[in-house]
Amino acid sequence: MAKTKAAYKVPILTGEIKIPKVVSGISAYEKMYQGEKDDMVALGFPASLEEGWEIKAVGIFKQLLSHNKALRDYMDICVRCGACTDKCQFFLGTGDSNNMPVGRAELMRKVYRYYFTPAGSLFKGLADAEPFSEEMLKKWFTYYYQCSECRRCSYYCPYGIDTAVITMAAREIMDGIGLGQKYSTVIIHKVFNTGNNIGIPQAALRNTLDDLEEEINEETGKDVKIPMDVEGAEVLLVPPSADFFAMPHMESLKGYAKVFYKAGVSWTVSSYASEAANFGMFIGSYRNTKELNKRIWDEARRLKVKRVVVGECGHAWRAMYNYSNTMNGPFDFLDNKYRQPTHICDFTLGLIKDGVIKVDPSANDDKIITYHDSCNIARGSRIGEIPGGQFTIPRELIKACANNFYELRNGTNKAETYCCGAGGGILTDEVMNVRIAGSMAKMQTIKEVMDNKGVNFLALICAICKTQFAKMYQLYGFDAEMVGGIHQLVSSAIIL
Amino acid sequence: MFDLNFISGVYVFLTYLAGVIFILGVALRIVVYARTPMPVKIPLTPAPLTPMGATGRVASEVLLFKSLYRANKPTWVAGYIFHISFFLLILLHFARHFVYHHPLPSWYQLFVNVGIICGILMVLSLFYLLLRRMIVDRVRIISLFSDYLILIILMMIAVAGLSLNFFISASALTKIDNRLDPFITDIAAFHPINIPSNPYFLVHYSLTLLLIAYIPFSKVMHFVGIFFSPTRYMTDNPQEERYYKPDAEDLSL
Repeated sequence: MAKTKAAYKVPILTGEIKIPKVVSGISAYEKMYQGEKDDMVALGFPASLEEGWEIKAVGIFKQLLSHNKALRDYMDICVRCGACTDKCQFFLGTGDSNNMPVGRAELMRKVYRYYFTPAGSLFKGLADAEPFSEEMLKKWFTYYYQCSECRRCSYYCPYGIDTAVITMAAREIMDGIGLGQKYSTVIIHKVFNTGNNIGIPQAALRNTLDDLEEEINEETGKDVKIPMDVEGAEVLLVPPSADFFAMPHMESLKGYAKVFYKAGVSWTVSSYASEAANFGMFIGSYRNTKELNKRIWDEARRLKVKRVVVGECGHAWRAMYNYSNTMNGPFDFLDNKYRQPTHICDFTLGLIKDGVIKVDPSANDDKIITYHDSCNIARGSRIGEIPGGQFTIPRELIKACANNFYELRNGTNKAETYCCGAGGGILTDEVMNVRIAGSMAKMQTIKEVMDNKGVNFLALICAICKTQFAKMYQLYGFDAEMVGGIHQLVSSAIIL
Repeated sequence: MFDLNFISGVYVFLTYLAGVIFILGVALRIVVYARTPMPVKIPLTPAPLTPMGATGRVASEVLLFKSLYRANKPTWVAGYIFHISFFLLILLHFARHFVYHHPLPSWYQLFVNVGIICGILMVLSLFYLLLRRMIVDRVRIISLFSDYLILIILMMIAVAGLSLNFFISASALTKIDNRLDPFITDIAAFHPINIPSNPYFLVHYSLTLLLIAYIPFSKVMHFVGIFFSPTRYMTDNPQEERYYKPDAEDLSL
């Protein structure tokens, strides 16, 4: 049952990020709901936890160690220097030592040392080795689902130890013994059934798009279409499905539609591949990630498009950018003039620079804007040709479409950005206090620019960030409409 | 077989044992790390687009501890001083083998003094790192027995090494010096002779053997692992060049 608002622990915003007192286990009270039978089985996992899970888990762990260089390396080389200890937004928000990246990783390393190192199997406690007990499994299920896989810690680690790799491996092991997380498994199952996370069937999707077309028509008087399942279109646009249904996401979808309309580029969305998000990545499952990713490229083939453009979504872009070619490439059936896939911001900014579409930045003069770098885009991918394009392209696009723009505090944006607090498959209500705690660091820096610069709009290019910040804004006492996508700004500024 | 006294026999055995453990242990790790496939591209971006750039990135971590510098300046200072002084000391110990010939070069005392300064810096930086482990809450709570153990072994080695310069007479030191070279030369030629018997030296030597044998089982292996960290060595070119490892499929990302 969802908690009432009064039950939430919302920190007071001062604009300062303070390092909390360290307490072990203080945030263990909130846990994910467990994955249900149907969903688990649909994803190729055991239906539920069964007798003998410990041996099975160690078996999967062993397999992972021999199949994943990063995991193999990161189990051994941590020196516990402490560089990461004050870098994780979940630690800063909760003060729980298990939410320090090294603390989180040690939960796995204890088990690793017990089963896979000579010191651990000989000296046990002295070597800080622990068997995979039920208590340990509980800790795994708690803390590997209080990580958003944002990789801020990896940026600061002298060896680049990537907690996301460790978290993904832990989730893969737990899934493999039948202990899944309901939120992510339900969502992946929905994509398999309907093509998107929300579970919108084809007809309902068309209805929504009709409504949106009508809305645009009322607002602008222009006949802007949102085509669906059109064979032979030039572009297949794959947005996160939240763009079809949720606010403020839909405003961005209107923005995409206007860009395509004005540029005169034929385009389509797909009801089969109506989801850019890839929760397979969140649970660290290669097979599921590949399966979800495959839908998009299968559809690109079927619809005979020339290029694939991805909408505003953080981890979706990381998965599309990094994994597509590996898992379902090569894409020689598409036009190799273009980067496959292309990010929508890259696409739109290119059109503006080429003079194909015109924008009037004064249309957004009511807004004083700041921009939050989404973790998976900032630290997990690239937009455009040059390294760091993931920082410059969204900013250039904002500045093209608006006059008032202020950066968040140095050290909390670009590669050093804090996560919104709900990435990595934890955007679910049963861990709302964890989400609130995880958002605190970023909210402090936002509060700072609100107070100092009068910022009243947070521009985003991630569906999870949008949902999370819209919710957090309400809980922290701000107006949820002060949050939106960059293409919402494009939508207002574009001259049709 | 060889004309060795008992204590030398033991030390010769331990020296070979430590050497074998170290070489095999480290080699095995290198092989395991090198051969384990990485299923997908995971460079931490912004990342270099070319192998040359990625090599430079790894070099900046190995030589300058760039990420640690970003994370925590005091730890970087202490960590950097420790690593540089320790590295120089290893280098000086090897160099000594080529320098220590009679008559001694005119700059020999300077050579020794550099070593002493490095030794002192090493002890001080280790002491800072030890105190930090005990005092800073966040670091104390993550510190394991083995984290203290390695700091203490290293400190003891450095202190024992310094004691050779401070606690024994010059003539006793010269005696060790004169016998050490042949000992090392001959043990490397698999024709061992008696070890210098000064107890201060033997403490320094024993602890060093312990460290060498312990390294393959310890976190010191980060000196190998840092070269195999995918977030750092990978190039950011998944679109330009297809990255595909079929033997890494079907498991965790």
